[in-house]
Amino acid sequence: MTEIDTDGDITVVTVDRDRFDAVAAPGLKADFQQLGPVRKLVLDLSRVSFMDSTGLGALVSLLKMLGGNGAMAVAGVQPPVRKLFEMTRLDSLFRLTPNVEEAKAFLNG
Amino acid sequence: MAESHHASRNARLEEVRALAAFMVSRCEAAGLSADIIAELELALVEAANNIVIHGYEGREDGDIGLTVRIDAERVELELTDRGLPVAADALQPRPVAPDAESGRGMAIIHACVDHVGYHRANGINHLVLIKRINPSADGG
Repeated sequence: MTEIDTDGDITVVTVDRDRFDAVAAPGLKADFQQLGPVRKLVLDLSRVSFMDSTGLGALVSLLKMLGGNGAMAVAGVQPPVRKLFEMTRLDSLFRLTPNVEEAKAFLNG
Repeated sequence: MAESHHASRNARLEEVRALAAFMVSRCEAAGLSADIIAELELALVEAANNIVIHGYEGREDGDIGLTVRIDAERVELELTDRGLPVAADALQPRPVAPDAESGRGMAIIHACVDHVGYHRANGINHLVLIKRINPSADGG
């Protein structure tokens, strides 16, 4: 369900699903929990065309897993997914960037 | 011109996807915009998830009915189920902490549609979600 790459101290997790919904969320959450200690994380959602509140819940869980010393950016959200972040005001909790490179730049900044 | 379409699926999360695909295909055929369809899909999925998880409490022997009514001014989605009754306050958005992992479903539904109605008759829950698609025809 996910692809994981590392670039220096940054871990890039790509969600390989077009729907991040109540069906996919438990498996993705389990994938996130397998990551181990990560301090800088890019979550690439560019392949996700639909997400619901259970997907958001999995992201919040991931953010909490990183802890206070961790940093996370969400890259490449498609317009309907961005709208979900905005309507739930979670765009203020998650840093949304247009793509993975800008997410890495944010985390390295 | 008004049109109406009906589908029924087993009350399982996997089948929520089928209900969403059914609704999306009918709205696309009616020529609705991608933005309108995306909000209707999100509202429908949140509502149907709630029915599976809270209404039937995970039981998989129930059904969810979906009627999609489309006319020049609005889209109406009516979901029916034989699960537990829904308390009135459960239909309202509730405040959630930013780091809460659940509890956003009703707020999302209210953000996506213009009207949320509920009644129960003969042991069947009816949840009606209405989205205006032509505000200029609203009469002001």
